[in-house]
Amino acid sequence: MVAETRPAPSREELSLMAHLLRRAGFGATRRELDGYCARGYEATVEELLHPEDAAPIDEDVVRRYHVDQNSLMLIESSQAYWIYRIINTNAPLEEKIALFWHGLFATAYGKLNHAKAVVNQTNTFRQHGLGNFRTLLLELSRDPAMIFWLDNKDNHNGAPNENYGRELLELFSMGIGNYSEDDVKNCARAFSGWTINNADYMSIRASRDSIWPHGRLDWQFRYLPEDHDDTEKTFLGETGRFNGEDIIDIIVRQPATAWFVASKLHQFFVADQPDEDQIQALADEFLRTEGDIRSVLRMLFLSDFFRDPKTRLAKVKSPTELVAGTARLAGSHRFPEWSIVNLAMDVNFMGQEILNPPTVEGWHTGREWIDTGNLVERVNAAALEIGDVNQPGVREVIRRLEEAGPALSPEGFVDGCLDALGQFETSEQSREGLVRYAGRMGELRFDRPDSLACTHQRVGEMLQLIAATREYQLA
Amino acid sequence: MTVNAAKGTYDFPYSHTVGFMANQGRGFNNPIDLAIAPTGELYVLNRAGPEVGIRLPYKRVTICTAEEEYLGEFSTGGTSDGQLWWPSAIALDLEGLVYIPDEALNHVQVFTPEGEFRRKWGVAGNGPGELNRPSYLAFDAEDNLLISDSLNHRVQKFSRDGEFLDMWGRAGSGDGELNMPWGLALDRDGNVYVADWRNDRVQKFDAGGGFTAKWGGPGSRLFNRPAAVAVDEEGLLYVADWGNERVQVLNPEGEVLGIIRGDSVDSRWAADYFAANPEEGAARYAADLTPEIDPAGERDREESANVEKLLWGPTAVKIDGEGRIFIVDSCRHRLQVYRKERNE
Repeated sequence: MVAETRPAPSREELSLMAHLLRRAGFGATRRELDGYCARGYEATVEELLHPEDAAPIDEDVVRRYHVDQNSLMLIESSQAYWIYRIINTNAPLEEKIALFWHGLFATAYGKLNHAKAVVNQTNTFRQHGLGNFRTLLLELSRDPAMIFWLDNKDNHNGAPNENYGRELLELFSMGIGNYSEDDVKNCARAFSGWTINNADYMSIRASRDSIWPHGRLDWQFRYLPEDHDDTEKTFLGETGRFNGEDIIDIIVRQPATAWFVASKLHQFFVADQPDEDQIQALADEFLRTEGDIRSVLRMLFLSDFFRDPKTRLAKVKSPTELVAGTARLAGSHRFPEWSIVNLAMDVNFMGQEILNPPTVEGWHTGREWIDTGNLVERVNAAALEIGDVNQPGVREVIRRLEEAGPALSPEGFVDGCLDALGQFETSEQSREGLVRYAGRMGELRFDRPDSLACTHQRVGEMLQLIAATREYQLA
Repeated sequence: MTVNAAKGTYDFPYSHTVGFMANQGRGFNNPIDLAIAPTGELYVLNRAGPEVGIRLPYKRVTICTAEEEYLGEFSTGGTSDGQLWWPSAIALDLEGLVYIPDEALNHVQVFTPEGEFRRKWGVAGNGPGELNRPSYLAFDAEDNLLISDSLNHRVQKFSRDGEFLDMWGRAGSGDGELNMPWGLALDRDGNVYVADWRNDRVQKFDAGGGFTAKWGGPGSRLFNRPAAVAVDEEGLLYVADWGNERVQVLNPEGEVLGIIRGDSVDSRWAADYFAANPEEGAARYAADLTPEIDPAGERDREESANVEKLLWGPTAVKIDGEGRIFIVDSCRHRLQVYRKERNE
């Protein structure tokens, strides 16, 4: 029997797949791209949409070597834990959708003084982030970190606190202009009595940043019927003795909610600039499926507008995408090492403190990720990681170059590196600069054993230069 | 919460708690191991983390007694001589010198009982005498050191000065093979017990490294990633069943005599804190600290994160001269102390 041989993927197939994995994940190595291409684009989309089928990461080794990431008491430990997850996940969209909802339902350590509570919230996003939006909003409303963050523990029968009710409508589901001030008040009343266990004690601990006597205590959701306003309310034109679940049911049925969620998904996964027709198509799918996020994303990733070459490299990588994506390419941090916290700190320095967003509005994204200060930080951090010739991902690049021949011209050297990094859309201007630099030392030679270390070093330097190109900063 | 699985033999009642969360000074920060001096002093090794500048002073050795008399601390985070980066275990030789291996720096450092740095030895690698994440150490009767060389999947034996003497074990799950071993203990006959962490079992070797017995194993469900083991005078095994957030007590036949899940009440240092912070204390005493939970993740771990009295990340078990059982409760920054009582 002759084994079936699959033709090598075309450059366009590779380019499209690299685009998908940058947007739906955190990039992919050349070897991973080959594997995805062999399975096909549609099958890969489906695989990404079903993270439950992927093998989980080895949490046991993380907790063994990072005792602080077992207790998750400190913010840096918790950030490092998430970065490690992103680098090592077999289900990249699970982490990407968690990052998306974290940015939208932005809840910050800074007020809570409880890192694990925010980590627990991101677990909710992993579990429900690709599911039904109603379930997600319900879980969000029951999430202790959110209850604390937006003061719903202070929302009582007869003495409402409107903070959560207002943000639920304005920032989490419909957007301003689609509801009245009375709707806000009645929404808040419906969520009265949705609180956390031991609210008084936990409030004192949070306000004092108390870690005593034995570290943080996880928070639990509590519904107190005696503290719930069970009287009649009118909300978005409907009247009844609404509780929180009823409010969420009404919210999810609103066309404004469909548009809101669709526009946020479009901005995160497709383009910084909105396109009304594209967003409407996604909103229609949201309404058709009664808020099934997986269906909306399936439509998005399979759409012509997402696959359009003009959509590729049209977004600035967030710091998390840049740092974790570079580590995935380099093959670094595939096992617990103390230095994972340095990557988390890099992300912080670039302006994205994960688990501690600046406000309830999350981060300002797009071009705002880059200014003159943090561009240097972005380039340096990426270059440091990808230029380490001892990392397995870089060794793989070297192996591929060596396979291409004992001596590579400057053009062959540059093109080989770009191909090995999955950088298929590098501009001619950037490429010319790279070739000019490569040409300074002539051919890249693998046939001279006494200068192999120098050859490897040249590859490392070339990868660093690629990390400094405009295109590498883009997703 | 203690369960006596084989009633009528022993009880293992909770005694008290030692410790309190403290970044420096009187208290612990992610303690990972404990050494007990013959004179009763406790040397508690604080692994702490992460490794960023502001947090480095949290790494240290706290010296105190079982009655919570604070005696001092030594060392700090760093990579210079006498400093700690990923300290993993602590043991005393017959002279009372303190030995601490470091999983990041792949060496063993030696301190005086007062904490003055004396010397270090060890080099990274996988050859005989080289180390790759040394996770634990214990002295034999001749004052030689046994080290669980976790990522080399073996046990190595050294003199106190670091001279390589012997080694056994290799990667695998067969009898005598190891998968990321962690804790070690010796009985009075010189037999060596190894917490074969990723094989979910404890293995017993004779003094020469010959395999003689095992408890648990892949798929057996007896243990989930056991971190440490201690052996008492009667040969009972106390296993820090880390992945199940408990300590199990077994007789040599493998019968489970007791399961310790955790019973902690406020330590003396904790009571001092609440006396000084009465508002927080009043709120605490009015709170329900054993809430019902509905964990979305791993039940035992999430239960431990929610219910303060329970063990969370038990990384070591030690027995003192009075037969008391000290459990290092790493994520709760304390030691839970139990007694063994034999029923007549």
